Amino acid sequence: MRPLAIASAVLSFASTALCAEKSNLTTPLTSKLILPSTFKPVQNFQNANLVHIISLEKGYPKESINVVIENIASTAQDEYFLPFTSQQMATIGALEVKDRKNPDGALFQVEAVEFDPESDTQFYRISLPTPLAPKAQQTLGITFSYLSALTPLPATIAQADKQYLVYTFSAYCQSAYVTLKQKTEVKFPSVVVPEYTIIPGTKGEAESPQKQGSKFTYGSFGEVPAGAVEPVKVRYEFTKPLIHVSELERDIEVSHWGGNVAFEERYTMTNRAANLSKQFSRVEWASAQYYNPPTTAVRELKFPLKVGSLDPYFTDVIGNVSTSRFRSNKREANLEIKPRYPVFGGWNYPFRVGWNADLKKYLRKLKTGEGYVLNVPFLEGPKQPEGMEYEHITLRVILPEGAENVQYSTTVPLVSASTSLHRTFMDTTGRTALTLTAINIVDDLRDRELIVTYDYPFLAGFRKPIVIFISTLSLFAAAWGIGSLDVKIKSKRS
Amino acid sequence: MSDTVAEPFLKGNTGRNTRGILRLSILVLIAAAAIASRLFSVILDPWFNFRATKYLVSHGFYDFWDWFDDRTWHPLGRVTGGTLYPGLMVTSGAIYHALRALTIPVDIRNICVLLAPGFSGLTAFATYLFTNEMSTSPSAGLLAAAFMGIAPGYISRSVAGSYDNEAIAIFLLVYTFYLWIKAVKLGSAMWGALCALFYGYMVSAWGGYVFITNLIPLHVFVLVCMGRFSPRIYVSYCTWYSLGTLASMQIPFVGFLPIRSSEHMSALGVFGLLQLVGFVEFVRSGVPSKQFATLLRGFVLLVFTVAFGGLVLLTVSGVIAPWTGRFYSLWDTGYAKIHIPIIASVSEHQPTAWPAYFFDLNLLIWLFPAGVYLCFQSLADEQVFVVVYSILASYFSGVMVRLMLTLTPIVCVAAALALSSLLDTYLSVKSPEVPVEAGPDGTNGTPTPSKKAAKQDGLRSMRLPIVGIYTTFSKVSVVSALTAYLLIFVLHCTWVTSNAYSSPSVVLASRMPDGSQHIIDDYREAYQWLRQNTKDDAKIMSWWDYGYQIGGMADRPTLVDNNTWNNTHIATVGKAMSSREEVSYEIMRQHEVDYVLVVFGGLLGYSGDDINKFLWMVRIAEGIWPEEVKERDFFTDRGEYRVDDGATETMKNSLMYKMSYYNYCTLFPPGQCQDRVRGVKLPDVGPTLNTVEEAFTSENWIIRIFKVKDLDNAGRDHASASSFDRGNKKKKTIKKRGPKVLRVE
Repeated sequence: MRPLAIASAVLSFASTALCAEKSNLTTPLTSKLILPSTFKPVQNFQNANLVHIISLEKGYPKESINVVIENIASTAQDEYFLPFTSQQMATIGALEVKDRKNPDGALFQVEAVEFDPESDTQFYRISLPTPLAPKAQQTLGITFSYLSALTPLPATIAQADKQYLVYTFSAYCQSAYVTLKQKTEVKFPSVVVPEYTIIPGTKGEAESPQKQGSKFTYGSFGEVPAGAVEPVKVRYEFTKPLIHVSELERDIEVSHWGGNVAFEERYTMTNRAANLSKQFSRVEWASAQYYNPPTTAVRELKFPLKVGSLDPYFTDVIGNVSTSRFRSNKREANLEIKPRYPVFGGWNYPFRVGWNADLKKYLRKLKTGEGYVLNVPFLEGPKQPEGMEYEHITLRVILPEGAENVQYSTTVPLVSASTSLHRTFMDTTGRTALTLTAINIVDDLRDRELIVTYDYPFLAGFRKPIVIFISTLSLFAAAWGIGSLDVKIKSKRS
Repeated sequence: MSDTVAEPFLKGNTGRNTRGILRLSILVLIAAAAIASRLFSVILDPWFNFRATKYLVSHGFYDFWDWFDDRTWHPLGRVTGGTLYPGLMVTSGAIYHALRALTIPVDIRNICVLLAPGFSGLTAFATYLFTNEMSTSPSAGLLAAAFMGIAPGYISRSVAGSYDNEAIAIFLLVYTFYLWIKAVKLGSAMWGALCALFYGYMVSAWGGYVFITNLIPLHVFVLVCMGRFSPRIYVSYCTWYSLGTLASMQIPFVGFLPIRSSEHMSALGVFGLLQLVGFVEFVRSGVPSKQFATLLRGFVLLVFTVAFGGLVLLTVSGVIAPWTGRFYSLWDTGYAKIHIPIIASVSEHQPTAWPAYFFDLNLLIWLFPAGVYLCFQSLADEQVFVVVYSILASYFSGVMVRLMLTLTPIVCVAAALALSSLLDTYLSVKSPEVPVEAGPDGTNGTPTPSKKAAKQDGLRSMRLPIVGIYTTFSKVSVVSALTAYLLIFVLHCTWVTSNAYSSPSVVLASRMPDGSQHIIDDYREAYQWLRQNTKDDAKIMSWWDYGYQIGGMADRPTLVDNNTWNNTHIATVGKAMSSREEVSYEIMRQHEVDYVLVVFGGLLGYSGDDINKFLWMVRIAEGIWPEEVKERDFFTDRGEYRVDDGATETMKNSLMYKMSYYNYCTLFPPGQCQDRVRGVKLPDVGPTLNTVEEAFTSENWIIRIFKVKDLDNAGRDHASASSFDRGNKKKKTIKKRGPKVLRVE
């Protein structure tokens, strides 16, 4: 019995080690919240009314659930659970919950629940800021999106063909509680929806979906028990690229001496759109350029940078890419880059962009003490009409050497955060670097702020000049010392 | 007024210090100018060296030494560690690690890009030292350094990003020569050893080290012939030769060549000669002169016969490698074209056209003979070196464009000698006092410097202590003319550098109608596409010119590359390009080729494309398979090389032709399909391809990549398979059927 247990333990260890090497699609979000494996949400709530909106206008599905919840328990409750499948759990990004009645209020605390890794149903726990009294109601606005959830069908198309995407969801919104009334709205990018699931009307309800231009509505449905599923599949036209960034490394380097903040972003980009069924034809591509039809290829990426950004560069592994434009004036600073070749479905194009900016616009000194506040955008990726999704983001804020007491705050959901030392350009101790990691982010979160506060003692700024001065001085002294040695075998006066 | 202020700084000890600082700052400025003038545009080339450096930096020196590269010369591979000159990579690797130790986060790419300009600054300094050994005039060295810094002949191989062996080799060449002169002058074993050390560095850096290997012995030989044998020469040469040869043998690529190949025999011979001469000198000091004469005659005869006989014997028996083809082509410019087309196909191996001298050296080229002439005036050992060097380098630069590089240093030195003696004569403020009986030369203004005149007092007219220029007018006119020449030279250098030598081959720049710059970046577009969107081990077949670039930028295995070590393999690619599709397909399958890359300039008018290089492919293939590939078949009956309607059948059926013009005519309205390089109208119906399919074509059609089709699923041959796909009716093959036979089980 014991050897078996040990063997299984070793095996499971090995399997986790193997999983760690794959991309995050196979590893669910880590969570500190661990519940017993027999966990089931207590039926403390019911959903009085629910509207589920699925937006398919971009390259990733964006869903929002507006739900009126009602406490049906006898005591005040503050934990509301939201179920997802394991597959959804791995690709879900940017889950945020707000009070619909108070849209400017703070985001609710949301945490993934870890209980039974084998179960197909996983939960997010939403903590209400104030416990909900019995019989009271509250309106939650839950938004989230899935990455890599849209699949082109057919999977390969000709260069000039239209692309169709398939998305599968449930007409009944996922819920751990009984839902009294609900409907699901699907917003398509166009009216061309060749295939969709029809749910016949029963008990006086109309047949779903009802079509209203590019908006389809499933429901409304009456009372539905907890965990009910009604799968719906839609196939719609979307002749745009599905831009997927599997890895984004973003460095923000703050220099107090130079009065400069340097940004650099390294993208590992690929296009998830339908692959070409035949080889790429330049003739067809060149002749199509005259009337500019919609295409699944990535032709151009537009970065609206902060006003005042300067010296941008756009390079890839071979060197500078000459096809970029930078328009900068008082009102805008737009960096428009073109990949070397049109990036069709299944093609990759990793690249790097960077720019500088005046530090004054991002940094303020606190009135008291030696503290500084840095306010930078968390994400400044391209703003594309078709949207972009980021599987893994590593943001590194490199503060000056000697910065201490680093704190940060951001509304972007993070996976991990750490501070380390980064040695560069004749550092003696190394610069303080704050590394933040986020996964499954979509470009909706583009303009979220990251606020970093840190202390930077006055003398720390003089560390490097002093070190360089002393080392140069000692170099000269050593040179003088060696030069004045007499190593000749003969005496000088012979 | 200024005189009185400057007075204390120009005289005495302070004056020396002031001049020293002045000289130093001038040298630093020259180095800065040399570096700055090389930064017009930056493109890394050749990529192989960069790739090798990256390998060295990431894997360490010992792995680099043993590096077997299986991503080139597929399927043979290349023993890279043993077939390259590692000096360049090791230099940048050392700089990289030094900077890293100082925690300066520099990318290895930046080091590689800036190595050549950085070393050009050092070259200017080395030229200064070298020239100072030749002349007593303080201005000669500075002038030579300035010339060396901006001479286009050197800039051509050392612009930023030109990461080739020459980048550091010219510095090493000049510095080795400087150390050699120093050694000869002092007769010092230390300087000789230093010279050997830098010679060893040079051997590790460039194949052109053979130039030093032959020039130094020649210098010594000439000196001995002039009767100038002395212990100084004996010590310096023997130190240099023994240590230098040992050092050079440490490079695996060189190995035992210094004692086996004919190119190194002169150094060995002179080494032996010096021993003999030394021995003879020793005997002469002990033997009376009459017997000595007979002894010497017999001795010389004996040694000559033995040495010559030994050389012939060893060459015939193969112990000493026979002269290589590249060596023959140095003497007979037509040799390569007939026997080794692969060498002749490289443009920088062509004989130099005479305008190239003016283009690369401008004013220096006519000052050069004057400088050499001045060397004859005081013919010390070091001046003999300049004379020997200039004669040898002048010859070789005429044979190959590439060797212009070895001529440039000596031209700069000689020109600086001439110019400095002119300036020294005409630029002195003081006029000589008119002597009582003025010689006719004095009034006319002989440009002979006073010091030289003082030395040679053989002629009566030279006996006067001061000879100089008397009238201010002649001073001003000559000096201003020289200044104008120098300024024009600087203008010329800048113009040449920015226009001719800073246009990288990979990126083509042109002007848009509105004056903005338009960059044609097709090469990198296609290489990046290959790198990102093909299998990691997809084999690319292309002509060898693009091998290094594909290996470096696209990071894909290639069949042949710029290291043209295997002629047969190159000929195989040439055959595949110049044969019919069916023949080529066999070759490509055998070599596991996945993609074929061709360069086509027809749309843009880019003349360096593969159709223009095609005849070389044919010639090289013909050298190996004279039965299967014939150059004559690519010419029409009237002997024209045509690509339009009148092209020969062989031409039209060759894979290269088909790939270049495949689908090209669909870009144009019917009847207007034009090739802008050859300037001809093409037939409306383009070629069809059966065994390969177009995979990628760059924006301006310069690079076309074709994918080699896999074998047909239904077992048909490709021609019939694609004919079926086009919807053609299958041609009925009339089979002769035999008489019906009853089948019996």
